[in-house]
Amino acid sequence: MSLTLNLLLNGVALGALIFLIAVGLSLIFGLMGVMNFAHGAIFIWGAYVGWAVFGATGSFWLGALAGTVAGLIIGFLMERFFIRPFYSNHIGQILLTLGLMIVLIEALKLLFGPNILGFDKPESLTGVITVLDDPFPIYRLFLIGIGLLVLLCTHYLLTRTKTGMIIRAGVQDPEMVQALGINVRRVFSWVFAAGAALAAFGGVMSGPSFGSIHPELGMLNQLNAFIVIVIGGIGNHVGAALGALLVGIMQTFMGYYVPDVALAVNVALMALVLIVRPQGIFGARR
Amino acid sequence: MRKRLWNNNWLIGLLLAALVVLPFVSNSKFLLSMLISVFIMAVYGMSYDLLLGYTGIVSFGHAIFFGAGAYSVGILLTRMEDPSLLWAALLIAVVIAALVGLVIGLLSLRVKDVYFSMITLAFAELFFIFAEKFSDFTGGTDGITYIRVPAFFNDRLNFYFAALAFLVLIYLFLRRVVNSPLGRTLQAIRENEQRVESLGYNVLAYKLVSIILSGVVAALAGGMWAVLQKYVNTSVLGLDQTINALLMTIIGGVGTLLGAVLGAGVITFAQEWLSSIFDRWFMIFGVLYIVIVMFFPRGIIGTIRDQLQSGKRGAGRDGASQDQRGQSVL
Repeated sequence: MSLTLNLLLNGVALGALIFLIAVGLSLIFGLMGVMNFAHGAIFIWGAYVGWAVFGATGSFWLGALAGTVAGLIIGFLMERFFIRPFYSNHIGQILLTLGLMIVLIEALKLLFGPNILGFDKPESLTGVITVLDDPFPIYRLFLIGIGLLVLLCTHYLLTRTKTGMIIRAGVQDPEMVQALGINVRRVFSWVFAAGAALAAFGGVMSGPSFGSIHPELGMLNQLNAFIVIVIGGIGNHVGAALGALLVGIMQTFMGYYVPDVALAVNVALMALVLIVRPQGIFGARR
Repeated sequence: MRKRLWNNNWLIGLLLAALVVLPFVSNSKFLLSMLISVFIMAVYGMSYDLLLGYTGIVSFGHAIFFGAGAYSVGILLTRMEDPSLLWAALLIAVVIAALVGLVIGLLSLRVKDVYFSMITLAFAELFFIFAEKFSDFTGGTDGITYIRVPAFFNDRLNFYFAALAFLVLIYLFLRRVVNSPLGRTLQAIRENEQRVESLGYNVLAYKLVSIILSGVVAALAGGMWAVLQKYVNTSVLGLDQTINALLMTIIGGVGTLLGAVLGAGVITFAQEWLSSIFDRWFMIFGVLYIVIVMFFPRGIIGTIRDQLQSGKRGAGRDGASQDQRGQSVL
């Protein structure tokens, strides 16, 4: 396998990982218009809960489940007790969720300590597989698969089911949907919780990929996720996937050839998109 | 109108007098040092209030300006080897901050609200990375140590009065700004951007001016901070630095200027006290901050002001419009 192909595959794997984090944000932010600044905190909470359960039971899958459920619960409580009075108040949302981020991250440090924790790969996904005569880590391949699966599920749910129809209609015209006898508030509560659960799931999946976790990862990945949905076009999960792919591939190539500026590339790319096409590459004009 | 309802000039005067007298009655070095930090942080907080409280935009990149000021002073004073050139360093810091504000403002103001916040955060991240990578220039993560400052500032009492004067001057300046036609327009943008635009104002230009002005003031605060600390590292550019400004303004009271001063005091002293008894003291600020955002969106000063007003005049029409204002800010 040539170097280019290897880098490309790694980039796709990284893109899949970023997509897992971004898709929840895209749901909450893009569809509901709620800015959840605590998204990264939920993400890292998922990783820590997954780590703890994985460590206690020895089963990565139980860990993934536990992390996801933890995200679901945090998201549900957050929407129920904090976000609700702020639905029409954007500045309030930013300020409030930033506070929630601080508290969630500090609580995490209180429970697990502020230090870096090692996160091993599950036994079944350790090792390498031969792709075109060259070794490639199984876990990265697994990430690509999971990313695709989540994308397909989200796409199917939003465009092919009645629930998806209600969600999209509720975004367009909440009053009309309410008038048709559907409890829009409740639907939105669940969308919020689902977005949080996806973030937490992404957290568990990223743990073995990074090899270790620490609380500051939350903010870093949240930033990446946001950059991705701005590039891809807000409220467009397919756009988010393509944006994630683009960022993942670019970061991998830059990381190999010009490591010093690799981290800055995302931001530069986002600035470029904002100048040329503020609605995002795949977004409709807003 | 508000001035006639509750004039707080006498209160400020009293507080100021107390602060002037303080060094002569107390010789606690610790207290003086703490107050110097409070004064500088208060300037930084007020600069943020101009954005958040008066223009109604949430920037998460405010640390860029604070950091730009701190690094300008740090780098220039170390390179030029003549500490008396501090004024030149501050001037350069101001110019840099204005340019950075212009560029970042032009790029970020293409989008609104949340997008703006996130993009400014991304820019802050970019500057943070640059400060880490260009270590020839910035000293990387170690930062710049042993900055030689003018001899004047080595005397704590001198520094105390200089910082106090700095705070008072900036306060007067910003109060003049917010009460000028420019400031009124900014507040109108905060209240109803579309209406201001339809009245023929160039909203983008006004927001840019707001960003640049607050950036320049923040850079001055950052420069003074570098003089006080005698070292600069990447923490001046971190997200925590921006969150600090946010906490000070929100806790003290948005859109009041004085709120930021009070907030700076509360946070600096509470931090000192809390960090000695509870390792995760920052969590307490987080909780306090959430409570204030949810239930007292006008902060300490704003809430007290509302109470005094409704006490004097009953819940009249003014009280109602004040309430609405508070809600539209947050």
